[in-house]
Amino acid sequence: MNRPRVGLLYNPTTPELLAYAPALVEHLSVMPDRLWFDFGHSAPAGERFHPVHQAVQLVAAHAGGRSLAGHGLGLSLPSAMPLDEAMVEAVAGMSAATGGFSWYGEHLNLFITPKGGVPNAQAGLGLPVIYDDEAFAIVAAKLRRLREALGCRLLLENGSFFTPVPDLDMTEPEFFNRLHREGLCGTLLDLHNLLVNARNGGIDPVRYLEALDLDTVEEVHLAGGDDQEGFYMDSHSTLTPEYVWDLAADWLPRCPNLRAITFEYQESYFEDLGLPALGRELERMHRLADACVQIEESVHAG
Amino acid sequence: MLADFQQALADLTASPELCQAVRDDERALVGYELGERERQRLLGIARHPGMAAACTVYRMNRLAPLAMNVRATLHALGGAMRPQVHAYWRAHPRGHAHFFIEADRFCGWLKERVAAGDDMPREARQALAHDHAVVQAALAASMTQGGPMPA
Repeated sequence: MNRPRVGLLYNPTTPELLAYAPALVEHLSVMPDRLWFDFGHSAPAGERFHPVHQAVQLVAAHAGGRSLAGHGLGLSLPSAMPLDEAMVEAVAGMSAATGGFSWYGEHLNLFITPKGGVPNAQAGLGLPVIYDDEAFAIVAAKLRRLREALGCRLLLENGSFFTPVPDLDMTEPEFFNRLHREGLCGTLLDLHNLLVNARNGGIDPVRYLEALDLDTVEEVHLAGGDDQEGFYMDSHSTLTPEYVWDLAADWLPRCPNLRAITFEYQESYFEDLGLPALGRELERMHRLADACVQIEESVHAG
Repeated sequence: MLADFQQALADLTASPELCQAVRDDERALVGYELGERERQRLLGIARHPGMAAACTVYRMNRLAPLAMNVRATLHALGGAMRPQVHAYWRAHPRGHAHFFIEADRFCGWLKERVAAGDDMPREARQALAHDHAVVQAALAASMTQGGPMPA
């Protein structure tokens, strides 16, 4: 196993953190959706996406000497509707403009609704997916097309939800395992989302991880959240909770294909979190990345 | 069919009223073309306690472009803010991914309400005029590809 890189999900405050602790950040994930303005399907042909050139150039500059991955929301692969080809083209353009994505991740959630009255109706939040053959076929066909367009490795991320879908044909880990088995994509494992789903009455994270083929895991997300109105939110408002660190320490060394450990925080909490605490979070992620390699070496030595 | 299931799930998330209607009488789903298994899944979701949180997060996300770009207007509306925003969402049930377009549309809609006779405090009208001008300038800047990083 190669040592996984330590990284951040890029936001407008990231340059300040990179200036504070440049050597601690080896990887950046960037959301193309946040580097353009999308004027929607009613915009004239070729004028729908307006990149924010200054922000794109800044990402490209900071990606120098680091690995860079794209991390999208907008394609909503499980939606029972055609792939948004204009957005695929825009993602490919953003990859080229920022120096090339080593891999590209999307969410295994529903963000766009197929019969919403307008072509790109937003669902408002990531909604859960029915895990069955029909959904698998939809996602699989779009992943094939996306890989062809982007020319890089694809990952799908487990989402957070408040309302599990009853009576599924497959569990979520089984869905991920099948995607990997059929050579379609790897898994972007968001450990904080497992906590969110557990806290809101959804799943047992350990049973989830026991069911997931750990060979599929190529990137891991760490993040923190908070309680609101009796539910635990994936707000990216805090440092990583201890429960998530414990999961990471137990399970990440068993993921032989892990390439990056990425911390997500929402920029509006940047001042509250503070640079020293964010620096310590990155240092702790480095100890975790070191442990992934050391534990494997000790296993081989034994 | 799956497309109708997905749309119904999104509609439930956007509407606590529809959730309650479905909980009261499953015939509230009659407008969607659903298999029996899909219908049962939606009923299970509508009855799940987490649906309240999903509806709350939906509203928070829908409010985000307004809270970020027309904050002074929302503040000046005071107690009228909630009914006005909900009326706007009924008039425009789908948000726009471009936050400045969404905020511009809200400002335009609110101005039409004032012109049609809605009572609005003077300071709210002033805040609306100012916020709308700022939003329109930001929207114009985004068209020239030089605007700020989108939220």
